[in-house]
Amino acid sequence: MGTMGLALPWKARISSMPRERGTRVEPSEHFAGGPSPAVGDARSEDAALAAACRSGDLRAYDRLYTLHGARMKNLARNVLGNPSDAEDAVQETFLKVQRSIASFRGHSSFVTWTYRILINTCYDARRSRLRKKEVANDDSEETPRPEPRAPGAHPSLRMALERALAKLTEHQRDVFLLYEVEGFRHAEIAGMLEMTETASKNTLFQAKKNLRLMLEPPRGSARETR
Amino acid sequence: MQVSCNHRDRIFEDGTLAEWAALEAHAATCPLCAEEVRAWKSLSVAAGELRDYSDSPSFWPRIERALAEEAARNPRRAERQGWFSFLPSLSPAWPAALAGALVLILILTLSAAWIYLRRPVDGRGTEDQSLLKSKALKEVESAETVYQRSIDKLAAEARLESPATPLLANYHEKLFVLDSAIAELRAQAGMNPSNAQLRYQLLAMYQEKQHALEEVLETKRQ
Repeated sequence: MGTMGLALPWKARISSMPRERGTRVEPSEHFAGGPSPAVGDARSEDAALAAACRSGDLRAYDRLYTLHGARMKNLARNVLGNPSDAEDAVQETFLKVQRSIASFRGHSSFVTWTYRILINTCYDARRSRLRKKEVANDDSEETPRPEPRAPGAHPSLRMALERALAKLTEHQRDVFLLYEVEGFRHAEIAGMLEMTETASKNTLFQAKKNLRLMLEPPRGSARETR
Repeated sequence: MQVSCNHRDRIFEDGTLAEWAALEAHAATCPLCAEEVRAWKSLSVAAGELRDYSDSPSFWPRIERALAEEAARNPRRAERQGWFSFLPSLSPAWPAALAGALVLILILTLSAAWIYLRRPVDGRGTEDQSLLKSKALKEVESAETVYQRSIDKLAAEARLESPATPLLANYHEKLFVLDSAIAELRAQAGMNPSNAQLRYQLLAMYQEKQHALEEVLETKRQ
């Protein structure tokens, strides 16, 4: 009927763990050769995970959490600003996946689909929080609650970065978080945010340019703070 | 490969490994580019500060409980999914449409058998049978039009032009695919109006669209 060949906007497949935990430096998108066997493994694992979740097996959700829970929570925390809201958003995402897994048709990666749900859940949570604030007539600026830091974290750098990120556009912030913090590829981000790979690259470039302007220390103190 | 300061931004945005290597080589003799490259990379280093994958032991049990409660609230849905688990890539509306189509096929087969058994044995019946066929075709077409109008009303109620959530976006795409399939089948049925198989397929598509729209409305009500 001609429906199977329909090109859908998300084709990216996501590896099950953050690619790298350390520093990410450019470039990361230009690899020689065709798809590696690991990509094939990731695809079959993704499909198996989707099938197991569809069958209602709670162990499959446990596996999804083991593979992606930490990254999902970290992303939600960076989008929402505090761990408590982040946990709520991740839990809501799992419930939404469970409720709508039947409508997942397998045209995209199951994990891309899951992250799309997470990102939209975070947007919803943020909007609802803003509405509550408006109702409460609280016009004070939104400040994240204090939270325990990872060992070795640099609180002032982190806070400066968080403040700068808050001034970016929603898309710039999300692309920066997904690429630089969570280590996703542009193809994966394009699938999650429903944009093209080129748009993802360009958005990251703009985000980093803006961040650089915002984080640039005053002349004269540049050397000592860097 | 030779690069200059003018190439810097493009390489930052979408440079290949070779271009980055060339930029680094250029930066070794250009203080401005050296500073820009260093600042650019330092943003990636700083991004690491936002990475905290520490585990909270009570978090998964909390999610697991919520999932189990949700599954207990919707056992019928899970049961239905279980029955059709051999069709992993199809939505639950598909098996429903398939079951409906099978029932229709059964009814039509029995009707055909009944008509065949009761047909007149002399030659007078030939003309009547042909008339009956075109009559049935008219009935099918008019029922189809009524069904299509009802679905259009549902679609108007669902208002999926700008879906607000990924789930609604999925439904939007699904409906788009279904509309394409329906248009294709209608075109084929137009060329060959008496082809019952095409009519069955068209009916299944309409039913699938109806289910999808009902699910959208249910989702919106939630």
